Amino acid sequence: MEPKAQKKWAMVVDLDRCTGCEACVVACHAENNIPTVGEKEAAIGRAMHWIRVERYYEGDFPNVKVKFQPVFCQHCDAAPCEPVCPTYASYHTPDGLNGQVYNRCIGTRYCANACPYHVRFFNFFNPAWEKPLDLQLNPDVSVREVGVMEKCTFCVQRIKATEIRAKAEEREIQDGEVQPACAQTCPPKALVFGDLNDPRSEVARLAGSNRATRLLEDLGTKPKVIYLQRDSWHDGKESD
Amino acid sequence: MLKAIYGLYADPDSAQRAVDSLRAAGVDERAISVASSEPFEEYEFGRREQRTPMAWLAALGGLVGGVSGYLLSSLTQKAYPLPTGGMPLAPLWTNGIITYELTMLGAILATLAILLVSARLPNWKPQLYDPAISDGYILVGVVSPPEALRIGLERTLREAGASEVKELVVGLDAEPRTQGVSE
Amino acid sequence: MTEKSQINADLLRPLFRTSWRFFALVGFLGFFVVAAFAAFGYQMYTGIGVWGIRRPAFWAFDITNFVFWIGISHAGTLISAILRLANATWRRPVTRCAEVITVFALSIGAMFPIIHLGRPWLAFWLIPYPSERQIWPNFRPPLAWDFFAINTYLIGSVAFLTLPIVPDWALVRDKANGWRKRVYGILAMGWRGTPKQWSRLESAMHIVAIAIIPVAVSVHTVVSWDFAMAPVPMWHSTIFGPYFVAGAIFSGIAALILAMAGLRKLLHLKDYLKPLHFDNLGKLLLMMSLLWFYFIFAERLTTWYGNEPSEMAVFWATQRGAYAPLFWTMVFCNFLLPFPILAIKKLRTITGTVIASVAVVVGMWLERFLIIVPSLTHKYMPYNWGTYQPTWVEITIMIGTFAGMGLLYALFSKAVPIISIWELKVGLHASSVVRSPLSVAGTSGRLTTGHGQLTTDN
Repeated sequence: MEPKAQKKWAMVVDLDRCTGCEACVVACHAENNIPTVGEKEAAIGRAMHWIRVERYYEGDFPNVKVKFQPVFCQHCDAAPCEPVCPTYASYHTPDGLNGQVYNRCIGTRYCANACPYHVRFFNFFNPAWEKPLDLQLNPDVSVREVGVMEKCTFCVQRIKATEIRAKAEEREIQDGEVQPACAQTCPPKALVFGDLNDPRSEVARLAGSNRATRLLEDLGTKPKVIYLQRDSWHDGKESD
Repeated sequence: MLKAIYGLYADPDSAQRAVDSLRAAGVDERAISVASSEPFEEYEFGRREQRTPMAWLAALGGLVGGVSGYLLSSLTQKAYPLPTGGMPLAPLWTNGIITYELTMLGAILATLAILLVSARLPNWKPQLYDPAISDGYILVGVVSPPEALRIGLERTLREAGASEVKELVVGLDAEPRTQGVSE
Repeated sequence: MTEKSQINADLLRPLFRTSWRFFALVGFLGFFVVAAFAAFGYQMYTGIGVWGIRRPAFWAFDITNFVFWIGISHAGTLISAILRLANATWRRPVTRCAEVITVFALSIGAMFPIIHLGRPWLAFWLIPYPSERQIWPNFRPPLAWDFFAINTYLIGSVAFLTLPIVPDWALVRDKANGWRKRVYGILAMGWRGTPKQWSRLESAMHIVAIAIIPVAVSVHTVVSWDFAMAPVPMWHSTIFGPYFVAGAIFSGIAALILAMAGLRKLLHLKDYLKPLHFDNLGKLLLMMSLLWFYFIFAERLTTWYGNEPSEMAVFWATQRGAYAPLFWTMVFCNFLLPFPILAIKKLRTITGTVIASVAVVVGMWLERFLIIVPSLTHKYMPYNWGTYQPTWVEITIMIGTFAGMGLLYALFSKAVPIISIWELKVGLHASSVVRSPLSVAGTSGRLTTGHGQLTTDN
């Protein structure tokens, strides 16, 4: 029996479809027990949005253009956040994820400084959910305590759950069966998740698109999130 | 029981004379004891037993440290393999730094250990010593002198220019008693 | 003999006589130290969010202070070791003051990697021991190298400091009575002062001096690599190693001058810490100021010339933007003010060097801050640029470390002669003259005995 091919989880973000509605942000909060830090903390920059929609404005009114993109952990194959963790809290899993092990994290915050994408978030205080919001917590995901770093995990709990179910049913995981909360929620289906190593998967197909780019590629981080640029930004009429 | 007879000398020249005279009187080199509150390396008496393999042993300590550092970093990283950042599990670059630091630590600790052992520290047992040394006097004496030679040694020490000649007797109760030896 | 008795009396006086002023000083400094501990306790209880750190400036005051204190620690052992190996005789009263700074500054600096953690109670996971989780520390990050480098330097510095104290403890033991005699008797470890013991001590000092210099260089290089290994604009640069080592020696010499000036005044050591010492150290400080300027000019020229957008954002933020006041203060404190004071002989007095040193200490603290925060707040994706402001917790802890340094120094100089007495005495008679081994009373001359070389002399 030939060995199963190693999975390489990746995400494709179609910027042409993305409307910037931020439903993904809310879904991620709900799925992953991410605390809302409150107005005061958010004002000094401690908000924790594992996925966020970045906006850049170009030009002056009335010729304003908004460029926006959802940014979340790129699960880099040469992640700069991984070698700098002294306790192996940040490491690379065999299926291509950048794993964050909350139990090992002692909070040196080096990984957050090293990450060029600003996708790591720190628990500056113990998170609290006012009743009855604590009933909303997802039992599949741990609640992190003060001093621990966290970030997008590609909803590893859903990946694991699917793997377990597929193994129990003695079959392979189907393409599109694993849906991180953001991809599941996205109304225009701008977020597509799948196995890059599977040549028949949707992400593999989209990764070959001529619109495919990656963020900060020249830093050598080998990110695994592929951004499909908007066609209108490439129509030659405006400089990029 | 520690018995000794010694003289206190105000300057290193007379101390040197005393050591020479004791040698001329036939006292065994190992029985001659010198103590001072500062090193006198320009004088022969200050250069006794100078040769030491300390540097070589420190280098050996460094080698031990270096090997330990290399083994610690390379073996532990492979024992629980957690790949990070696309790097190899036990890169030579990073292991090299750990190896280097532990090499230096090994050399320093080896030096410390050899110092303590060869200088016989700590040693809180009664020894041939006189607090006058702290005032700048140099002590030159003979440990466990044969009773018959005592008078002769006392004269030798005095003739070399001692400010005082004393006798140190440490009894069974380990309390040292010194007494000046009268003329 | 009288000169040596005078030395004994002068340098042992602080150990035997204490005035109310000492207790006042200890109380004053102790207050700030206790306040710092209280602030840290509050931080542990409430959460590290009571600090001003935030996204994207995850490091700020904490690591600034860490690098600052480790830098200060480079004075002592490095200067003492280099001067010892170069046989600079003027070093004798200075070495112990310097080595004490190293040990205490290192200890203070080494606390920051622990107190800046999100979960400081788990700091022991950085120690390589076989844990029940079957996991060891990761040796790939610079933080792990920090652990080894700082501990090696600390152990080496403690050895370098305490080994030559033992003969002085024997001296105190002989001069003291009562409980002091007992305590110093134990500390002196039965030191007698035989030629063999002196010889072994000198050999050990020599070896440790040779070993400690590369260790000191490696320590601050490794600390600088905490920054250089990360892909952050104006961090990821090869200049960081040498730049930081030079900066460390620079701030260390300044701290040494300040410590010596303080001791001179408070312990009445005018006859031992002379204008000559401040003049010589002032010249070294001048050299390091020029070296610092060279490094910062080289770093900024290459950045400016390269015109790489991410780096230029940081560059302009420090030179013209929000951090410009701090940046230009730093340049003034590190170069513009010290240079004329230290270069002009008439101005290079004790007061002059003290003024220059205060400026350098301030300037070097600012330099560390300006390396960390402007870069972190201006990384590659401008949507995430931010600002930073410290809170009272961080400021209290920082003030506490300065007070703690002063307190440790005061307590140390009460228990140990702050100037190495035996080394000072050796300096009085050290010469290259070698006596013949068998010169009998009064006569001298050539005699061969087989006990090594001889020269004629009288």
